[in-house]
Amino acid sequence: MSRWTGITVAVVMLLILASGSAAAPPKDAIVVGLVAEPVTMDPPQITDLNSTRVIKRIFEGLTAQELGTYKIVPGLAKSWEISRDGLTYTFRLRDNVRFHDGTPLTAEAVKFCFDRQLNEQGPYYKTGTYPYVKGFLGNVAGVQAVDPSTVRITLKSPLTPFLQYLAHHSLYVYSPEALKKHGKDIVKHPVGTGAFKLETWEPGVKVVLARNDQYWGGAPKIRQAIYVPIIEAQARLAAITTGEIDLTMDVPPDSLDRLRQDPNVVVAETNSSAVWYVTLNTRHPILKDRRVRQALNYAVNKEAIIRDILRGTAITAHSPMSPVYGPFYEPQVARYPYDPDRARALLREAGHPGGFELTFLVPESGSGMQSPVEMGTVIQANLAAVGVRAKIQTLEWGAYLKKYLEGPDMAQMSWNPSIGDPDHMMYMLLSSDRFPPAFNAGFFQHARVDDLLRRGRTTIDDKARIPLYREAQKIVAEEAPWIFVDHGKQVIIHRKRVQGFTLHPNFDLVLTPVSLQ
Amino acid sequence: MTAAAGGGLAGYALRRLLLAVPVLFGVSLLVFGVMHLAPGDPAAIMLGAQATREDVERLRRDLGLDQPLVVQYGRWLGRVARGDLGRSIPLGREVLPEVLLRFRATLILTGGALVVAVSVGVVAGVLSATRQHTWIDKLSMGLAVTGVSLPVFWTGIMLILVFSLWLRWFPSAGMASPYGSGPLDVLWHLTLPALTLGTASAAALARMTRSSVLEIVRQDYVRSARAKGLAEGAVIVRHVLKNAVNPIVTVLGIQVGFLLGGAILTETVFSWPGLGSMMVRAIQARDYPLVQGGVLLIAATFVVVNLVVDLLYAVFDPRIGYE
Repeated sequence: MSRWTGITVAVVMLLILASGSAAAPPKDAIVVGLVAEPVTMDPPQITDLNSTRVIKRIFEGLTAQELGTYKIVPGLAKSWEISRDGLTYTFRLRDNVRFHDGTPLTAEAVKFCFDRQLNEQGPYYKTGTYPYVKGFLGNVAGVQAVDPSTVRITLKSPLTPFLQYLAHHSLYVYSPEALKKHGKDIVKHPVGTGAFKLETWEPGVKVVLARNDQYWGGAPKIRQAIYVPIIEAQARLAAITTGEIDLTMDVPPDSLDRLRQDPNVVVAETNSSAVWYVTLNTRHPILKDRRVRQALNYAVNKEAIIRDILRGTAITAHSPMSPVYGPFYEPQVARYPYDPDRARALLREAGHPGGFELTFLVPESGSGMQSPVEMGTVIQANLAAVGVRAKIQTLEWGAYLKKYLEGPDMAQMSWNPSIGDPDHMMYMLLSSDRFPPAFNAGFFQHARVDDLLRRGRTTIDDKARIPLYREAQKIVAEEAPWIFVDHGKQVIIHRKRVQGFTLHPNFDLVLTPVSLQ
Repeated sequence: MTAAAGGGLAGYALRRLLLAVPVLFGVSLLVFGVMHLAPGDPAAIMLGAQATREDVERLRRDLGLDQPLVVQYGRWLGRVARGDLGRSIPLGREVLPEVLLRFRATLILTGGALVVAVSVGVVAGVLSATRQHTWIDKLSMGLAVTGVSLPVFWTGIMLILVFSLWLRWFPSAGMASPYGSGPLDVLWHLTLPALTLGTASAAALARMTRSSVLEIVRQDYVRSARAKGLAEGAVIVRHVLKNAVNPIVTVLGIQVGFLLGGAILTETVFSWPGLGSMMVRAIQARDYPLVQGGVLLIAATFVVVNLVVDLLYAVFDPRIGYE
């Protein structure tokens, strides 16, 4: 009996192994290993990166970002005019664009999509929840279909980042017929105009997109894009190493050196606009002194954190904005190289020669938070060396976000702006209009900065905006409302057979130019 | 021990199922309380840092989270009573089909782990009991102690390292290949997770089987069976195991619960699309309807498994009856 059992087991094992080796990657399908599967496929309801990485293949907005930069280029609108007062935007739609269900893209369809979110009494308002209405549509007075291919959007007050907002996924355009047909279940039935359309979605297993042969911009080279969720970093590393998947991200930083040596994979990296920082409560009796905040910046060894914890996957931050912002980036700001003596001197000058005690909030993990606990421990040790006793309080991410907005002494945060306008970094985090429950959690308030940032969001001419943001960065660096730590790099690992892949600053994985060998 | 009129097995089962109602009610109260009292707000987590205060408040209102807790609980319970578990907050999809789909994957994993646990555990237990104090006994009990002590996530990552990364025999993640699938493909993907999850249970079962078999094997009727010339294999299977099986079934029942719990870690390590990995994400997102629905389903499963174990005693031991 035991012999037959043995033989049966052996045969079954062989069959199982054989079934595995039979599954070789097809020549024209790319397999992408995501950190988690998409949450929903209804553009205005999406709030997470994994969903956008998939649905940006399916849907498009009136405007788009040029691949590899934040520059605004035509999307579904082939051109537009902005009235002199900055209040009226008139868009001309591309001709002969069809949704994946065959219905045509019209001005009425665009109006339908925006009105769904804006009009609480509208018939389709209850088909979802719309997280970004106030943020991105709050300033819209009305949307008008002038003729079948002309849309006019009127704003309540001039707002320069609006063209960038239109490239945000929450304002993407989808088939009104699909929404009417599926109602609330639109979350799993995406119908857009993009280069790929949804073929199948097996929750937790995979999302399969198929090439849209009728795509107005020309059909992509690959036939299928298959997205699989792989939660564990170690498992993603294994899957990309063995070739089970073609492209992935967020592998353990320790493994990057080995991957760079692997002849079968490419490690693609680029700077991003993300910033990782420690908010300092500027209303705290000790931290309200600028010299103390500067001292904390001198005390922290950012280079060591980047080298030893992040394994070189970041660059040092000197202000909120990274070089990715191009002309808006100001390199000539006050810098805080690692200098404990200078920190001690500043603390003495501020009247705290014996140091003091602070509570330091640290999340266990969290969106874009890199290695929060390890980084927090190093920062704590660095501060202790200059006499500042930071008591770490560790919280789970959900609880952390709540506590973060309740005026902590100092707390870690990271910011990965979803649109490419400097307003979305500077105004959102440092304007006094944005005190908690918005995200200026350290209550930073500076009259000149407030003025610059308010002017920045209403000045239409991009060239005139540049000096405003550059001056704001200089003041912010000098005032040190945060401990500026790092700008994380975007790191994508793909197999050699993936050709023509280009990184995009907003962490999107664009597949249109990609081909497979 | 005779069955009373109107009682018997069916009556007993029915009574046990009715008792499940207050149990599930208690569970619903507990999970609702714990989820809603935990700090963190699903609207704020969903919107993240980029939202305005108005956005968060508007989303809370859309989701009904601005109502008093008692009202929210009452509404939810009323819908549950009608078989409607609501819609997941971030997913926007109905909870029941979603949870059932994931539960199927968890059952496949748990089933695979049970096969590993029973086949390895019972065989090892019988072997060490029948060869007490030999090196086989010491080896398998040594392995059992190790197996019980190994954390699931460690075993999982080690198996991935050896069998996926070095030997490349098995995939490192998922339940099916990205392209093409079938039952064999699922088995191929199931192997490592099932081994991971089954190891600890196999070890626990081996120890229970050993002591249970040791107790029986010294009984007079076993000596008689041997004396009448029965082959050792037949003695063990027909006379020893059959009588040693009840404590083993008890442990097995407990192990099913353990497996469902351990599945959460295993599913996370192997990206298995089951209820566990979904629940982890749902808890992080404070997805109240999904967590509550999932916990209710798991609690109901526990009740049923316990009942089945109790009923199985009678199958294996005819002396046991129910009233």
